[in-house]
Amino acid sequence: MAVCIAVIAKENYPLYIRSVPIQNELKFHYTVHTSLDVVEEKISAVGKAMADQRELYLGLLYPTEDYKVYGCVTNSKVKFVIVADSSNTSLRDNEIRSMFRKLHNSFTDVMCNPFYNPGDTIQSKAFDSMVSAMMVQAS
Amino acid sequence: MSIPDYMQCAEDHQTVLVVVQPVGIVPEDEFFRIYKRITSVAQVSIRDSQRNLYIRYRHHYLPENNEWGDFQTHRKVVGLISVTTCGSAKEWPQTSDRFHCQKDVFGATLYDSRLLVFGLQGEIAEQQRTDVAFYPSYDDCPDVEKRVEDFVESIFIVLESKRLDRATDKSGDKIPLLCVPFEKKDFVGLDTDSRHYKKCCQGRMRKHVGDLCLQAGMLQDALVHYHMAVELLRSVNDFLWLGAALEGLCSASVIFHYPGGTAGKASGREPSLARGQGQAADTGKRHRPGALTANGISADTSSEIGRAKNCLGPEDIIEKYKESISYYGKYKNAGVIELEACVKAVRVLAIQKRVMEASEFLQNAVYINLGQLSEEEKIQRYSILSELYHLIGFHRKSAFFKRVAAMQCVAPTIPEPGWRACYKLLLETLPGYSLCLDPKDFSKGSHRGWAAVQVRLLHELVYASRRMGNPGLSVRHLSFLLQTMLDLLSDQEKKEVTQSLENYTSKCPGGMEVLTLPDGLKLPPVPLSKLPIVRSVKLLDLPVSLRPHKQKGLLENNLSSKSPFIYSPIIMHTRGEERTKKIEFRWVQGDVCEVQLMVYNPMPFELRVEHMGLLTSGVEFEALPAALSLPAESGLYPVTLVGVPRTAGNININGYHTSVFGVTSDCLLDGLPSVRTSGCVVEVIPSLPRLQLSTSLPRSAHPLRPSKEELSSSVSVQLFNGETQQLTITLENIGSEDLETLEVTSKTCNTKEKLFGEFLSWDLEEAVSQLPLKPGQSVTLTVNVKVRLDFSGGENLLQDLNDDGISVTGLPISSPLRQVLKPRAETKALGSESSKTDYNHVKTLEAVMTFKYSGGAGKVEGYYRHLSLGVHVDVEPSVFFTRVSTLPATRTRQCHLLLDVFNSTEHELMVSANNNQDLVLHPSECQRPAAGSSRGEPSLYRSMSLVGWRSRWLSSTFTRYPSRTRKPCATPTPNYWRRRGFTPRPP
Repeated sequence: MAVCIAVIAKENYPLYIRSVPIQNELKFHYTVHTSLDVVEEKISAVGKAMADQRELYLGLLYPTEDYKVYGCVTNSKVKFVIVADSSNTSLRDNEIRSMFRKLHNSFTDVMCNPFYNPGDTIQSKAFDSMVSAMMVQAS
Repeated sequence: MSIPDYMQCAEDHQTVLVVVQPVGIVPEDEFFRIYKRITSVAQVSIRDSQRNLYIRYRHHYLPENNEWGDFQTHRKVVGLISVTTCGSAKEWPQTSDRFHCQKDVFGATLYDSRLLVFGLQGEIAEQQRTDVAFYPSYDDCPDVEKRVEDFVESIFIVLESKRLDRATDKSGDKIPLLCVPFEKKDFVGLDTDSRHYKKCCQGRMRKHVGDLCLQAGMLQDALVHYHMAVELLRSVNDFLWLGAALEGLCSASVIFHYPGGTAGKASGREPSLARGQGQAADTGKRHRPGALTANGISADTSSEIGRAKNCLGPEDIIEKYKESISYYGKYKNAGVIELEACVKAVRVLAIQKRVMEASEFLQNAVYINLGQLSEEEKIQRYSILSELYHLIGFHRKSAFFKRVAAMQCVAPTIPEPGWRACYKLLLETLPGYSLCLDPKDFSKGSHRGWAAVQVRLLHELVYASRRMGNPGLSVRHLSFLLQTMLDLLSDQEKKEVTQSLENYTSKCPGGMEVLTLPDGLKLPPVPLSKLPIVRSVKLLDLPVSLRPHKQKGLLENNLSSKSPFIYSPIIMHTRGEERTKKIEFRWVQGDVCEVQLMVYNPMPFELRVEHMGLLTSGVEFEALPAALSLPAESGLYPVTLVGVPRTAGNININGYHTSVFGVTSDCLLDGLPSVRTSGCVVEVIPSLPRLQLSTSLPRSAHPLRPSKEELSSSVSVQLFNGETQQLTITLENIGSEDLETLEVTSKTCNTKEKLFGEFLSWDLEEAVSQLPLKPGQSVTLTVNVKVRLDFSGGENLLQDLNDDGISVTGLPISSPLRQVLKPRAETKALGSESSKTDYNHVKTLEAVMTFKYSGGAGKVEGYYRHLSLGVHVDVEPSVFFTRVSTLPATRTRQCHLLLDVFNSTEHELMVSANNNQDLVLHPSECQRPAAGSSRGEPSLYRSMSLVGWRSRWLSSTFTRYPSRTRKPCATPTPNYWRRRGFTPRPP
């Protein structure tokens, strides 16, 4: 389960960022922010030739001492970043993928909302609750 | 070896290390001047060979690191240049001793050394010595470079001899075992005759020879030796040296592939390299796999092919680096070597643009444990990580590490926190967090970025600058924080930020000047345009009475002078554009002008704005600042800013000036696209006099009905028909200019009523004779108000007449007028209320008196002002004719027309008719004067005589008797009497 989930706009500013409340929130901001370097690099590395069949899932962006950072980028260059606890070894790649899929679906719903302005921060309750379900429950 | 050299790069393997040190007391700046000249000799091409020798200079080198010289020869100090000052011959022996002491520090490894003596003249200086050079002063040493070159050549000779020495004695004698400092004790008591040991010795020596070859400029030989060393060492699992051999292989290949160097432009070697070989500096930056260049290698292609085989490809280089680092990693004591290898590999990868792999190397470097690091070393390590991340384009990561380094500078464990360094590093992180300290970048649209991180960074900047003892910077950063991040701060944060801002500004008020940091960075001013937020700016016209007008003739003149064409589309176009910005009305020099701003306060508390004034250009303008206090989260709030233009011309309202929380800011409208404005340029015309008008009559409460013209004031008066009233108008010059011309005109507005005679009349002569009117003086004008209206059309009256049993149907007095009047009676606002019960006979008469005046400089330009005075008169009828009858006269062609005249007023009045004597009517009196009328053609004559009579009656004078009160409109009408069966009679 994730400890921090972020949605980042095409222009690399956060649309949504949420972390488990117990921890230092700013730390996750830093983690996600620096992970964008890797995301950008991965996107550009894939290149234009592969643009069609490019996989959305970027895999593990980088491991830190305590966390693993996973990334995923949509075709519209919106990025999803999930930070998971390194100690949680049970977390498989497949689960991460399915989390991204859920996140993507929910994000699509948000975008479908005619009252949502693309580029604004996400304030949808449905999205929020979906994210909460994916987060580690603070015990 | 504990302190890594983070600046190392792969090509450093081919350099020889020379230490340049001062001996005794040498002024620092002089030393570094000499040091700089020495370091300019970074590359020397050796005579009689195609080879180049590269030199790496250090002015500080730990002898401890020197001990690793056998492991990698570029770590070995082979040359020493000492710089010293020697004033007199007496000091010379002492200086010489010191030099020898210093030589002993690196003694074991030195190939050669030099001493540069400055300041010594005389006997000693005359003697020719190879190892000592004497110069009279630091300024007079023209051949330092030459000396250094000679020195380098002598080093080369030693190096070359060593290389040949080591390379030839292959297997004959016993090869000594080279080892690194921490290995020494491991080999004690080891069997030196074992095959394993011998191989070990061979491999290590091979590697060492490879190093020497590389330094001596024999790249291809080095490659061969390294390959052999790798083979040998791999077979005996000597991992540390295997790692070193692999790294040597990598270095040699990198030097081959990337002749431009991997250290980037910062390297001091590059200019000389470019000079020596005429290569473009960017050749090394391009990734050219397997490219063969003319880097000191002979142009013989056949040999190049053979050499290229030994050389590693770009892919292999990284593989080998990885391998080598993994071997280093097995040894705890080789942490520094591992770290440096990582750094070198990252630099190579950066050139190859293989960013992801580079980041992996860096990630690994982060985790290399070097044991206890001092705080300073930590800072250095984080900064270099940041730099390397920057090199590979990971700007965010770079900023992150830079920030960590900054925080490290002021860690609580440091006794003397380096706030200055911290602040400097923090500033460098700004681009990584996509933050620019110029508020102009934020003016477009809403803020988008990593708000939480940016706010934190700004807070840190504020704190660091405060601890640095520069509250001015703190104020600037805090204002920036407030200005750009306002929407993202919580209410609590807003309060805190403003509170601390107020604290800081009490020490150092914030202003609009550009702050320049010692390192040249400029902090642009931050106008707090969001405190309060201005929504619209509207320039207000002068009040009606003060508006200037242009003389018509002059206006046309002005237009035609612009262009000789009557019509030109170009002129139309520019005029149209002007209109969008320029405002129609004009301001007058010396008169208070107003601009209305709609503002609101976004803060959750009361906002006090002081010294709010206008910023203008084009005209000298005296802004009169205002102070305002806006309630918390107020809605739109109008604020009027005033000022007085002191000269004439076009004035441009550029913005406004505020002072909030002790920060003064000039907010320019250009930078505030959200502000709505209807134009900001107004023409200011030269000053004009100002007149104040006062009248003897009371002011009118209700404005004139046809409100097309805006009136400066109006008076109202109630008069009986035929009455005359005098109106005294006093005009006072309250301006600062002389009044030079005065014109008075009047216009009657209500023209539906038939008006006889002049309504308003005056004599201007006397007033004009007093001109020019100095400021403060006044002039009076007497106006006669005379009302003569036709009341004959009253419907009720005619009805009364009809009922009298006399045929009046034929009377032209009634029929045409009745039809005209009937619909009007219903629509009349005044009459409609009372029409049911009583017909209202009051009629109104309105006129506008216009006083055109001018003077001073404005008159020269053709401007004038006008005051207009509305005169509203309610006219009541004074007499009624209650009965009409005829009496036959003595002559058949004539008859007497008898009229019952009723005075409905409370005053005496006089009626004068044709040829009759005047008749005095007392209040509520009815009399029957006889009017002679000619008979004959009745229809014609009667009407004629009646009309004639009527006109006479209308010309009857109404004499007002003084000292009475009048009841307006309460007089009973004849109808009233009739309904009660009462016919008014004379008492």
